[in-house]
Amino acid sequence: MDVFGSFALVLAFVCAVYAFGGGIAAIFTRHPLLIKSTRQAGMATCGLIFLATFSLEYLFFSDNFSNAYVVAHSNRDLSTFYKIAALWSGQEGSLLFWSFLLAVYVLSVLVTYRNKNGELMPYVGVVMAGVQIFFLTLNNFVASPFKALASAGADGLMNYVARADGSGLNPLLQYPEMVIHPPNLYSGYTGFTIPFAFALGALLARYPGEKWIHLTRKWTMIAWMFQSMGILLGAHWAYAVLGWGGYWGWDPVENASFLPWLTGTAFLHSVMMQEKRGMMKVWNVWLVFSTFLLCILGTFLTRSGIVSSVHAFAQSSIGTWFVGFLVLIITVCFGAYLKNRDYLKSENQLDSIVSRESSFLFNNLILLVSCIAILSGTLFPVFSEWITGNRISVGAPFFNKVNIPIGLLLLFLTGVGPLLAWRKTSTESLKRNFGWPLAIGLVAGVIALVFGFREIYSWVCLILCVFVASTVGLEFYRGAKVIRARAGASFLASAVDLTLRNTRRYGGYIVHVGMVFVFIGLAGAAFNRDIQKDMQVGQTMQIGPYTLLLQGFDSKPEKNYTAQRMNVEVLRDKKPLMMLYPEKRHFSTNEQNGTMVAIYSTLKEDLYVVYAGDSPETNLPVLHAYLNPLVKWIWLGGAVVVFGTLVAMLPNRRAVLVLAGAPQPAAQPLAHGLTPSVTLREGHD
Amino acid sequence: MTKKARPVAAITMLVMFAVVPLLITPAGAQQLSDRAKQVGGKFMCMCNCNQVLTGCNHVGCSTSSSMLKELDQSLSRGDSEDAITQMFVQEFGTKVYAEPPKSGFSLVAWVLPSVYLFVGTGLVVFVISRWRKRPAAPAGAAPGISADLLERSRARASRETQD
Repeated sequence: MDVFGSFALVLAFVCAVYAFGGGIAAIFTRHPLLIKSTRQAGMATCGLIFLATFSLEYLFFSDNFSNAYVVAHSNRDLSTFYKIAALWSGQEGSLLFWSFLLAVYVLSVLVTYRNKNGELMPYVGVVMAGVQIFFLTLNNFVASPFKALASAGADGLMNYVARADGSGLNPLLQYPEMVIHPPNLYSGYTGFTIPFAFALGALLARYPGEKWIHLTRKWTMIAWMFQSMGILLGAHWAYAVLGWGGYWGWDPVENASFLPWLTGTAFLHSVMMQEKRGMMKVWNVWLVFSTFLLCILGTFLTRSGIVSSVHAFAQSSIGTWFVGFLVLIITVCFGAYLKNRDYLKSENQLDSIVSRESSFLFNNLILLVSCIAILSGTLFPVFSEWITGNRISVGAPFFNKVNIPIGLLLLFLTGVGPLLAWRKTSTESLKRNFGWPLAIGLVAGVIALVFGFREIYSWVCLILCVFVASTVGLEFYRGAKVIRARAGASFLASAVDLTLRNTRRYGGYIVHVGMVFVFIGLAGAAFNRDIQKDMQVGQTMQIGPYTLLLQGFDSKPEKNYTAQRMNVEVLRDKKPLMMLYPEKRHFSTNEQNGTMVAIYSTLKEDLYVVYAGDSPETNLPVLHAYLNPLVKWIWLGGAVVVFGTLVAMLPNRRAVLVLAGAPQPAAQPLAHGLTPSVTLREGHD
Repeated sequence: MTKKARPVAAITMLVMFAVVPLLITPAGAQQLSDRAKQVGGKFMCMCNCNQVLTGCNHVGCSTSSSMLKELDQSLSRGDSEDAITQMFVQEFGTKVYAEPPKSGFSLVAWVLPSVYLFVGTGLVVFVISRWRKRPAAPAGAAPGISADLLERSRARASRETQD
């Protein structure tokens, strides 16, 4: 299988080179056979990458310990579930996995558009093949996962050898979410290749700028959704496994995953400016370019060892390849832009500062400022070392101080933006749309103050969350009311109908509600509490309203590790509530230890209990308990964001309803009683 | 929304969202973190976990334990925060800072985000003012290429592409 996998990868590389070179020739010659053959070469590349990936998985499943990568990342007792995850647990396998996911996207594009967009697709195919060539170069010549174990024999020749067992998978990765978090995150990273390929292809083909936007909207949303899920699953993994009570530590690799998400989010908003008004064409092209570049930069940060991170792979020369690739992409993007920028000129003027257009500009500004601030903070230790000779760390306190105000500004715009009309918003419309949400937000703020809510950022965040949720709620209410009046259906049915008539708009609102939930969860972090105590059996400790009683210990031998568990009874108001079993795990294969946190989670708070080892002074086991308010809202918000994105990707159900009086002169303020929200035109807003 | 319906909707929303602050409002006085926790939050743990000292994610981490012990001892001696900072910097170097100090070259890290925001805001304001002054150009008018060519390109793109 080693040989088979290697051979498949070499063939995939050859096919990708043909798809790239043949594609360029096809662009110039327009020869139908050449176009067809390069497309088929692209498909063959994907098929061969699939074969290589499956053969590596087969090596894991068959416990083939003659393969160096399998030896380093698996062992016989590792469960089948985690043998899947072992594929991406190391440098070589994760790069192959990257190629695999990219191949899934590329094949989907090639199949979807096999009989469409004949003039554009060769350009897109060339760009996609170019990216595939880079990763296949790494898979074949720099970090091959198909290296066999060998040792020099007495005759001086290399002999293949096989180990009896492998070193096992890193304990931190032996958690269900590690089987789904990296595929999601990688699907996000690789998915942004598709909008990049279309953007660059369209620019090279001198398409004026609207078409590639339509073609790639869903691809961008898919990539964005996976990136969002990947980030949140990673945060949940950090929360549930690492045992430090938090979910986001501003680690460089976490930051690297967040950067393309920010630019991708900016793009998903600013793209509407181009669709509706023919504006921001250059900006959108560069946002897509930047998003892809940040994906590659993130991979570079993870794999080069340039920044220290718990996630980072060992320092290796592979970083040089990524730098080269980054330089190449930037050069190509600049070249294409300088040559064809005249096709990207905006066509419209801005009528008013108080308009949807302005809100999108500020939304993009905030997202980009956050992105650049995080990037410069992440790289600051490197720069400080270059310039002063001293490496100055930039940790979570810095990122929190910088990003919390930015995040609050963004939250404010999340509420304001959708209620502003395109072109110009009248004062009357402003009052009508913002009066109640503002009042509700402020009342919630007063109530919070009365109840002793004193942390300023959390307080502002709460007001804004209520404000944004109110604006979205009013939007649904107004739209559903119109439909209800016409169709006589129930309010809920009318709201569903409203959503399905303009999935993009109302799906977007659902995403905003999900983000509100996430912000509510983040606001709770200001009130986290924790307590740590050396515990004897029968002792109790108190945190918030909970009493934790250590009832005893037990040991739970598992196939791949031994778990020592604390049996902790949780009491509330002196009444038994539940049992929690925080674990300390020992993996004998690689002599590593791990933890398994026990969490009692409610919408109000998480009781988070860690078996934090044994105290060196007293030799007693240490129980570390945290009381983290509102954390569950973050995961709930993530689910709502995904749901909203899926809704936004659905086609509109039926022809749109345009209310009486809707065809207004575009530049004029909207008539009284007719807000933009109830004008159910074919929705691109 | 009718005038009659407005108060109903408002009250419903108010009740819904008023619950949120109640959820997070601590039942009693908020537990204050001790001084060690507060000061410890200003340093990184040196075990390579890349977390602040008080948030090291290595269970049973000996590095964070010994650093916290040093910190405790210093605080019980009555050392000032500056003295503790000096002690850790001497021991581990500048990489022990959880956030860059607001002096010297490190100040750049703090200034940059504000610079981005101000420059970005300036750019947005500039763009908006330019867009407002720009006459409504007929579709296709773009400098560098003729309107006819741009229109043909657009027609070609439209012809050649389908979702």
